[in-house]
Amino acid sequence: MHTTGLAEIVRPRDLAEAVRLAAEGGEPLAGGTDLFVRLRKGVERPPFLVYIGDLPELRRISVGESKVEIGAAATHAEILASPAAARLPILRLALEAIASPAIRAMGTLGGNLANASPAGDGLIPLYLLGARVNLVGPDGERALAVEEFVLGPGKTALRPGEVIRSLDLPFPEGAPRAYFRKVGRRRALIIAIASLGALLWLRDGTIERARLALGSVAPTVVRPREVEQALVGRPLAPDALADLVEALSAATRPISDLRASAGYRRTVAGRLLLDLACTISPGG
Amino acid sequence: MARVKAPVEEAEQVVGKAAPRLDAEAKVRGQARYADDLSFPGMLYGKAIRSDRPHARILRLDLSQVAAHPKVACVVTPKDIPGENVVPIIYRDMPLLANGVVRYVGEPIALLAAETREAAVEAAALAQVAYEDLPAVFDPLEATRPGAPQVAVPAAAEGGNVFNHMVIRKGDVERGFAEADVVVAGEYRVGYQEHAYLEPQGVIAVPEDSGITVYGTLQCPFYVQNAVAAVMGFPLAKVRIVQTATGGGFGGKEDVPSHLAAMAAVLAWKAGRPVKLVLPRDEDIATTSKRHPGLVRYRTGAKRDGTLTAVEVEFYYNAGAYQTLSSAVLWRGLIHAAGPYRIPHVKVDGYSVATNTVPCGAFRGFGSPQVIFAHESQMDELARELGMDPLVLRHKNALRVGDETATGQRLTESVGLPEAIGRARELSHWDELQDEVAAFNAQERFRRRGLGASTVMYGVGMGAKAPLLDKAGAYLKLEADGSVTLAVGTTEMGQGAQTVLAQIAAEGLGVPLASVQVAPVDTSRVPDSGPTVASRTTTVQGMAVLDAAEKLRARIVGAAMEMLGCPKVVPGDGRFHDARDPTRSVSLAEIARWMWAHNWDMAASGWAEARPVDWDAKTGLGNAYFVYAYACHIAEVEVDLLTGETRVTRFWAVHDSGKIVNPETARGQVIGGIAQGIGYALMEELPAEGGRILYPTFTAYHIPTAMDMPDEFVVEFVEASYSGGPFGAKGLGEVPLMASHAAVANAISAATGTRLRAYPATPERVLDLIGRGA
Repeated sequence: MHTTGLAEIVRPRDLAEAVRLAAEGGEPLAGGTDLFVRLRKGVERPPFLVYIGDLPELRRISVGESKVEIGAAATHAEILASPAAARLPILRLALEAIASPAIRAMGTLGGNLANASPAGDGLIPLYLLGARVNLVGPDGERALAVEEFVLGPGKTALRPGEVIRSLDLPFPEGAPRAYFRKVGRRRALIIAIASLGALLWLRDGTIERARLALGSVAPTVVRPREVEQALVGRPLAPDALADLVEALSAATRPISDLRASAGYRRTVAGRLLLDLACTISPGG
Repeated sequence: MARVKAPVEEAEQVVGKAAPRLDAEAKVRGQARYADDLSFPGMLYGKAIRSDRPHARILRLDLSQVAAHPKVACVVTPKDIPGENVVPIIYRDMPLLANGVVRYVGEPIALLAAETREAAVEAAALAQVAYEDLPAVFDPLEATRPGAPQVAVPAAAEGGNVFNHMVIRKGDVERGFAEADVVVAGEYRVGYQEHAYLEPQGVIAVPEDSGITVYGTLQCPFYVQNAVAAVMGFPLAKVRIVQTATGGGFGGKEDVPSHLAAMAAVLAWKAGRPVKLVLPRDEDIATTSKRHPGLVRYRTGAKRDGTLTAVEVEFYYNAGAYQTLSSAVLWRGLIHAAGPYRIPHVKVDGYSVATNTVPCGAFRGFGSPQVIFAHESQMDELARELGMDPLVLRHKNALRVGDETATGQRLTESVGLPEAIGRARELSHWDELQDEVAAFNAQERFRRRGLGASTVMYGVGMGAKAPLLDKAGAYLKLEADGSVTLAVGTTEMGQGAQTVLAQIAAEGLGVPLASVQVAPVDTSRVPDSGPTVASRTTTVQGMAVLDAAEKLRARIVGAAMEMLGCPKVVPGDGRFHDARDPTRSVSLAEIARWMWAHNWDMAASGWAEARPVDWDAKTGLGNAYFVYAYACHIAEVEVDLLTGETRVTRFWAVHDSGKIVNPETARGQVIGGIAQGIGYALMEELPAEGGRILYPTFTAYHIPTAMDMPDEFVVEFVEASYSGGPFGAKGLGEVPLMASHAAVANAISAATGTRLRAYPATPERVLDLIGRGA
């Protein structure tokens, strides 16, 4: 059944008021690209919505010496147009894969995180970079690692009244190569069936360090740390990685749904390692 | 019978030119008014209360809580229907509201109208229905077995659940296979395809002038008029249908608006107020028509040199619970089952079968894409078996002037297929292309490219199954200032018909296109031109426009001669010149003013009837259509061997639709058809369980985006002129979709080295194919 009629939208003057309103039970609204779908389906019925999308302190994107700080309500399009994306190729690759230009103009990275879908493309770079989530709530501020923040599909560590203020994305040491690939039935406007993001530190064609993040194949985005370890010291070539395909598949805990079967997800997640080996040229 | 119009002698000024769409600006500016944009004083919002059972007896229908809802103005059950409880389409088996028994999930049981859209939704949920479930059947083959639950209304079926069984018996198919050196056989399956028009179904019924007016998004105003009159028990003249700007149809707005309009009309009549009934997207996807799922069993025989000797086809379409358009869809599938080839021995058996599922209906291609997937797969399988180039095999067997079709129809003119194949070969640099693809495949480890071709024919117009509908009228009026109003009964739904018809009118009159205005379609003011379907508008409606234009032009020329006092005038630069002294001329505005001042008749009506067709149901032989359009498509597809993902990289499309009236709108039709075919072959899937569409949303049902279009595509026309069409034009609209999916499917098969036998080729299915091919 459809539920029509929208809850009242309240517009706070500043972040402090937003937090107060959220503590009263208001649901934060930024881009609305996920929230409105849920409201329309009637699976969520907040008493009112708190529009945080135009609070300047939540829109800021600042590039510091060791990190980029992205306000929770900065849109994907704004981030892509900012120096942050240029400095963090993995962020650019992942955000460019989100939906369509219209959705990227509305949707926010903070919202993508709060939605906590294992298929959220924007989450992959956060896991790879070891992002921290800055929260502000009735009891003050705190920060969590992204892996502590996301607890399961749609589940986060947000406490009642807490709002995401910003995300800290530390610059990785050196110059790792970035890879992002999502598998789906079409080339845009698609929720990933499976995805793999990677940062690879290479020397003379050999992997010195690796970070991998798998999307859509478990209740949360997954960092397969055994595979990351096993990659170290190997040449970046499909044949040299072939025996890790199974291991990467084994790091998944997929489900079957309308988009694909669990078996397909498991197989493809592992095989993306071979695509990675072909996509990143060991030289350049 | 239509008169044959020779193309005008002088070079055409307007026809053949890429004129911008007349409706483009209003649509781009957001000024076009679609059904849901309209509002009327006192308007209510209608809602159908629908069955949630696939097959059940309604034991009790308690609407007391619905009626008690404070914002509900009116509730309708079958006893409130003033006329007949039927939606008359081809048969009369489908009730407007279920009569004691429901046969599919989503079948309307009762109606309500409320003060707001929200209240209508709320109130509908308050209906209490007690059902006694009946055994149900969802698969067409199971539905034909003895002992299967009876779904079809017996009066509308040939036997059991078989709505219709149609045949072609040409030659002796056993002899044909005995003469063959090679025989290939296969079974092909396709599921639903949803139209996914941008604008969902919607109507507004307004009781007025002692009758009823229905505004709506629709293709066939005269179908709607007929249905509303039957349900209301009104004379046709008391029912007025006005088409609103229509955001896409693709066949989905052929029969469905009749049902919707009749529901809104009954509600509006009982409430005495206007009622808007616009379907939300999920209700639209779940409860309105779709392309028929099909199972096609196919066998083809050929000589060693590739000459086809025999084709045997058996196919089943899942019609859903009621006939709607299925008999016509089946017939087109039957006639198109053997493809555009010269085949001496043909045996085809087509079945449309009732099941407890949502009724399927018209969708671009109308029963042909399912069999085309099969016949074009067979041609490639045969080519592989023979070691022949698939384009050479197609060209060798392609129909030519003088040949007989599968129904024994001798083609006397306008067969551009061999030329289209030749041109597609040239444009794609077919031989070099094979080498390029081979080189790519040799170099890439986890990617494979493949090439696929397809050739199709398309019977233009209604054909011998419904010849009574293949007529059209047109009114042309020269206004006193020289501008021109054109009124026709066929509709613009985004396909560009208005522009093309205005071009034909302008050309016929010898006036600039800018002076022609096309009137809105309103059944009280336009002639019955039959339905806007079957790629017939340019051809049949175009002939009626030309007929009117020629009548009016004779008067314009007569007036100009009187004004100039000369025996002959010639048009040029929007003026009419004295043939002896071209410096003497009058403008159209001056002529119009003169005609008005001299009390001349300034209007003309035109009429056209398609050329006769005939067909014998026993043998399946006859002149099925008055003319055919043809196409050859070539697709290059890249398959990711790791994931099974596919990507159409390059595409070549060559069409013969006779004279192309507007190259730009025609190109748009072809590109749109390629996209829709890519969707059909690769991604569009609507799973159902127990007769229920599981995910009726665009989150789950994927149509191609701009990103899914080929990186490069080439569209070209070979114009094999048809003497029965305006300036030599045939139909085009459906053909691009019909050809494109099969080329894509063949390219996937080529890339994977296996045979795709079911749509859609989702990544998971393709990965499975790769696994089997390795």
